[in-house]
Amino acid sequence: MIDKIARSILVFYKTHRWVLMLLPATALLTAFFLVPLLNLGRIAFFPHDRLTIYVPHWTTENFRRFFSDSYYWIMVYNSLKVGMLTAFFAVLVGYPVAYYLSRSSGIERTILSGGFLSSVFISILVTTLGWQIILLPFGAIQKILSSLGLLEGPVRLLTLTTLVVVLVYLHISYAILILVASIQSVPKDKIFAARILGASTWKIFTKIMLPLTMPGIVSSTILVFTLSMSSYMVPILITGQRVKLLPIAIYNYTTASMNWPFASAIAMVLFAVTLVITYLFIAVTNRIGRRGKWEMV
Amino acid sequence: MWASRVLRVYVYILFAIMLAPILIVVPAALTATSYMTFPPNGLTLDWFVKAIQDEYLIESLVRSLGLAAISTGLVVFLALLVSFAIERRQFRGKILLETFFTGPRVIPLIILVLGLMIFYYAIGLYETFTGLLLSHLIITFPFAFRTTLASISSLDIFLEWSAKTLGANWFTVLFRVILPQMKTAIIAAFMFAFITSFNNVTMALFLTAPGKRTLPVELFQRLNMGGITPKVPAFSVILAVVGLALFFILDRTVGVFKYMSGGGEED
Repeated sequence: MIDKIARSILVFYKTHRWVLMLLPATALLTAFFLVPLLNLGRIAFFPHDRLTIYVPHWTTENFRRFFSDSYYWIMVYNSLKVGMLTAFFAVLVGYPVAYYLSRSSGIERTILSGGFLSSVFISILVTTLGWQIILLPFGAIQKILSSLGLLEGPVRLLTLTTLVVVLVYLHISYAILILVASIQSVPKDKIFAARILGASTWKIFTKIMLPLTMPGIVSSTILVFTLSMSSYMVPILITGQRVKLLPIAIYNYTTASMNWPFASAIAMVLFAVTLVITYLFIAVTNRIGRRGKWEMV
Repeated sequence: MWASRVLRVYVYILFAIMLAPILIVVPAALTATSYMTFPPNGLTLDWFVKAIQDEYLIESLVRSLGLAAISTGLVVFLALLVSFAIERRQFRGKILLETFFTGPRVIPLIILVLGLMIFYYAIGLYETFTGLLLSHLIITFPFAFRTTLASISSLDIFLEWSAKTLGANWFTVLFRVILPQMKTAIIAAFMFAFITSFNNVTMALFLTAPGKRTLPVELFQRLNMGGITPKVPAFSVILAVVGLALFFILDRTVGVFKYMSGGGEED
């Protein structure tokens, strides 16, 4: 009997040895990705304590505080605005670039890509320093404008609009990476066929390129939106720590006041807002697709 | 073909805009004044010398390089194991597991790091190197996994079968048949995981003790404090040159677009 069990275990081990290959990574991600996130959701429902940081005692106080204060609603609104505007402009500005890159080759493509993908390879702090030099009071832009007589004295260029510009600059690389892959996967013979049949460039774009690259457009929009919604470093360095954005609030409550339960609650709201907007965006683009506006060729 | 000409002009203008914030750091590093100013006042290379003599910068640089090297080596190994099992075996819940493995890329980093920080605080990994290393494994894993998975699915399985038929053992098959075919993908996985880890600020900013900063955190703190000397721009120029050099080598050998679509490092 024991012999039989031992043998079947041995057989199972021999046929399922490959499961061992999955184990280390699964264990790692469960312990240091899944569990911490679930724990974060738990802490968000605990009250803050000055000495022990949180007390294990269920309460909805953190969320009630968040939603009853218009200050935090402004944060939600600002974060959404920054995320959506950045995603929209990054994809709009990046699409033609991605098209050009996917049609170019050789050293021209390498050099151009070097510029457009710079924020992937160069630390975000280097480029942010460059933006600081350009934007700060008495920085490059103000010097140029005042030497032309268009401006007198220092002006604060550090607004949400500036923030969107810098975020588009930093995140356009990721949009371009996805869009290039998407544009390259469009079969060239479809475009040739349309051209032979007399379609204009505009018609080829709206009837072939746009529908076939729609998945790339959707996923790059979602990626840039998520990145920009949750970006805190660039806002701190460009607009300052006082700007009303959700990630900045998380950063401040975590580092300055050590109120981790409330920071967790804000993180939960940020996560929920990102998920809902992403879901709505996918639903809307699917609906437009089904109505036949972007009919597949 | 006026449309393509307009497109070319548009792309080159944008290219210049993309380079501007990087190039503007160069004159800021060359100024002879002890504060940052634009345009520079006098020209000197002193700040470059002072930058590499700054022991805090060098110490944090060494720490960042070590962290990136260890986490990259581990993560590519783990990713290879997992990719083989996922690509070659059929089992229930496979798609769920694949989604789980790419999960750390979908969750905003600030949320993930807050979760890790609270968790580390409870289990005693807060402000330790081990904790930081584990967090870097988590954030680089999806990149390495996607790259190795794509590479394994494009392997020619007939080569393995014929090697086995001709009497090769699994060791020979792995090292003489499979891995040589995956060489570029493995190099790409190494490079991209390394860059992601080296440039990441968030994890170290929240998880490490003040005295044990990584290079990006050191730079962030200096930029955030303000009043920096031209040492920081000088060091940034060195980082930018190394980053761009790495990019050119990668693109000319491996091909950046082939392996990198769908990336996304956060700030």
